[in-house]
Amino acid sequence: MKRRNKKFQKKNVNSLNKLSLFQKNDGKFSKKCPLSIKNAPIIDYKNIGLLRKYITDNGKIISSKISSVSFNKQKKLTKEIKKAKILGLI
Amino acid sequence: MAFYENTIIAKQDLAEKDLKSLREKYDTLIKNSSGKVIKIEEWGLLNLANKIKNYKKGFYIHFKFEGNNKTLDEIEKKIQLDNSIIRFLTVKYKKLDIKNEYFNKEKTK
Repeated sequence: MKRRNKKFQKKNVNSLNKLSLFQKNDGKFSKKCPLSIKNAPIIDYKNIGLLRKYITDNGKIISSKISSVSFNKQKKLTKEIKKAKILGLI
Repeated sequence: MAFYENTIIAKQDLAEKDLKSLREKYDTLIKNSSGKVIKIEEWGLLNLANKIKNYKKGFYIHFKFEGNNKTLDEIEKKIQLDNSIIRFLTVKYKKLDIKNEYFNKEKTK
């Protein structure tokens, strides 16, 4: 993702070789991690409402590529989800 | 000494008396084995996500306590022998947060 952005910016700087009109102007894809903001919700195996957002209907854990959770928080999430599964909460 | 959380799932077909006695039993057990009970929560009758030992529902009881490895050993030994308990989980914590109650219906956080 990042590499693509850099290429994009370089091309935009050079006004001579402009991209075609049909290309989208702002090529930003990356979101910030929703769990490492200020006052972020607590990741805990009792907090089922939060954990439900990060699993599919079949009970699989959603990868951090899609949910854009940071590496550290994703590790915590998987551990707490597995605890909740043991207790039969999810 | 460290902090622990222990949750127990009891069978759904227990009477209220049995639940009370179950709760008091583990309360006294922790106290007698050099532990200290900080809080007890009852989450009530909840639906299980998948069948556990052919049960679809269970009573959840949640203990927050302070203790050492001896208390843990004693509790887990007793739980595994107990017939009225389907499943249990103990988690170690550096800090316990007592304020948040996720299964309290009145607050509805």
